[in-house]
Amino acid sequence: MVAILVLGALIILGAPHLLTPFGINQLTLDYNQAPSWHHPLGTDGTGLDIYAMVLYALPIDLGIAFAIAGIAMVGGGALGLIAGFWDRPGTVGGYVSLVILRITDVFLSFPSLILALAIAVSLGRGVWQLVVAILLTWWPYYVRLVRGETLAVKHLPYVMAARAAGVTDGRIVLRHILRNVIEPVVVYFTLDIGTVLVTLSTIGFVGLGVNYPFTPEWGSMISYYQQAGLITAYPWTVLGPGLAIFFTVLAFSLLGDGLRDVLDPRSRRVLAGTGTGGPSSTSPAEKEEEAAESTEENRDLPSGGPSLIPTAGEA
Amino acid sequence: MTEPVVQIQNLSIDYVVGAGRFRAVSGVSLEVPQGHVVGIVGETGCGKSTLAQAIPRLLPEPPATIGEGRVIFRGIDLVKVPLWKMPAIRGTGINMIFQEPLNSLNPSFRIYDQVAEAIYIRRIRDEGNLVIDHRPPAPFDYSKRPTTEAGEALLRPIVPGGAAARAVRGRRRREGLRDEVLEYLRLVRINDPETILDLYPHELSGGMRQRVMIAMALSEKPELLIADEPTSALDVTIQAQVLTLMKELIEEVNTSILFISHDLGVIAETADELGVMYAGKLVEFGPVAELFEAPRHPYTKALLHAAPTRYKSEGPLATIAGNVPNLSRPPSGCRFHPRCPIARPKCRAMPGPPLEAVEGGSANHRSACFFPGEVASIP
Repeated sequence: MVAILVLGALIILGAPHLLTPFGINQLTLDYNQAPSWHHPLGTDGTGLDIYAMVLYALPIDLGIAFAIAGIAMVGGGALGLIAGFWDRPGTVGGYVSLVILRITDVFLSFPSLILALAIAVSLGRGVWQLVVAILLTWWPYYVRLVRGETLAVKHLPYVMAARAAGVTDGRIVLRHILRNVIEPVVVYFTLDIGTVLVTLSTIGFVGLGVNYPFTPEWGSMISYYQQAGLITAYPWTVLGPGLAIFFTVLAFSLLGDGLRDVLDPRSRRVLAGTGTGGPSSTSPAEKEEEAAESTEENRDLPSGGPSLIPTAGEA
Repeated sequence: MTEPVVQIQNLSIDYVVGAGRFRAVSGVSLEVPQGHVVGIVGETGCGKSTLAQAIPRLLPEPPATIGEGRVIFRGIDLVKVPLWKMPAIRGTGINMIFQEPLNSLNPSFRIYDQVAEAIYIRRIRDEGNLVIDHRPPAPFDYSKRPTTEAGEALLRPIVPGGAAARAVRGRRRREGLRDEVLEYLRLVRINDPETILDLYPHELSGGMRQRVMIAMALSEKPELLIADEPTSALDVTIQAQVLTLMKELIEEVNTSILFISHDLGVIAETADELGVMYAGKLVEFGPVAELFEAPRHPYTKALLHAAPTRYKSEGPLATIAGNVPNLSRPPSGCRFHPRCPIARPKCRAMPGPPLEAVEGGSANHRSACFFPGEVASIP
């Protein structure tokens, strides 16, 4: 199941030309055709197949979105960890945190879309310019998110217990805190891909994105066709990229919800239990107590998962 | 007699909150002899936990500040050690078991990883630079400024050498880690430890989690184990199990324990010596049996009187009238005088009585009361 999904994703991302007979920017002789068997999403006035262009835009759009959200998560997240963990005022770490947070505030004080648009204007059109423009406005949210989570986690008793056990600060951050912070961050990241896509499309839509039709990108595609003023006559030219944006964003928000369930160790065990269908509704802790009373009986019970099978010879 | 594991000398700890300044611990002197269990009791808010956390420097500083005093461990004054060097002392030197066993295990790691990390840390320390199994050869002269060779060796960087050496060391540290984890889980009487290894903390009961905590603390073979109310979050039957276990383990693993509790029954069962704290001060210290038999401070007497026993089932539970004083404005003189049945004008007027050896008690029985002889006459 997972393998099929991964394979499908790889084909769509890596080899769009397997799914369409048309090459990138290949002009056909069918102008302004309505959707048909031959052109599933129709063609535009120059004979470009919309379906093919939407497919070719997918890796570019997703690549940009992952690059932006990924760099923002790693960079902003690292800054957030530092600002959250070493925040004791009056120390070196305290001043570093202060500087990080004030710079973050400066960026947060502008509406991010407007700021991104302004940067995009000054940088000009193109994929890398777009990435830089959005990235510059995107990282502060991760700083805030990770810092907040870090502040919440670092005062929990188990962090204190780790300190008491002689774990050094660096190791506490990288092992104990990061592991407990990363779950909401990864979920946020997945949902954020959708948000970046929307922002990206917005910038493309106002005409500051990449140069369509030389580089296929959904937002720019919509912009290009609506500027041509042919929406009413040939609505499919806009419908194709619009639906693509809609479904991609929807997919990532569903993925985010799914990840939230999988990443939480509490629900993970529950999922595994229901997945195997075994009678693992009694928690292992309860089993342990049962075992103290009647070890023999417990041995015969079928176990819910492989980790719960008691090894023979252990009493 | 061997030198004590830790010596606390005249330690004072302040909390600075807003404009206020609370002296949570004022001038406590205490020592934990090697191989002994020293209990600390007192009401809520009298500075027990603050004292416990200040020893391994786990207090959040700020708001807490160590005002004065020394904590001498392995010949070095921990108060003067910079905080970033403290991890070298925590763990294998001073370890701690906390009040909340339910939250003291990291929810994201399996039990194996948590216990293995503790053992791993000890193995790193064992590798030579940090010699933990050898006590310093000669007894220390604590009157001198306490910076000795052993203390300095402790604070040297932990791992020298290049990448190849590091890889070899890494492999050696991981060797047989699983077996050792199992060994320690068996030590704390967890039956079927192989099953436990792969579980997450939330899948264990409170008693099991506390036992895992104890296993982690013991696996580092600390010289001093501070147990901060380790049983108060557990129900009575589990409490008894854990206590029995700890008592057995004290004999098996050579470690000294500072045992913080507000439960006199728990203390009576485990401790050798007992310190009684009131409003940030140590008011009485001595062998447990002697303190229970013949307390020499009215507060100790009152505490003992207030402890519920099964023989006093009639009538309401005895209490000590009044509350622990606000530490931002402690009462003049002896801090217990507003609640003391034998208080006299002297108790209010004179500065608080020092902790002094009492007549007719053992050598280390000390009390901070002007009239220790009259305590026995309190009904």
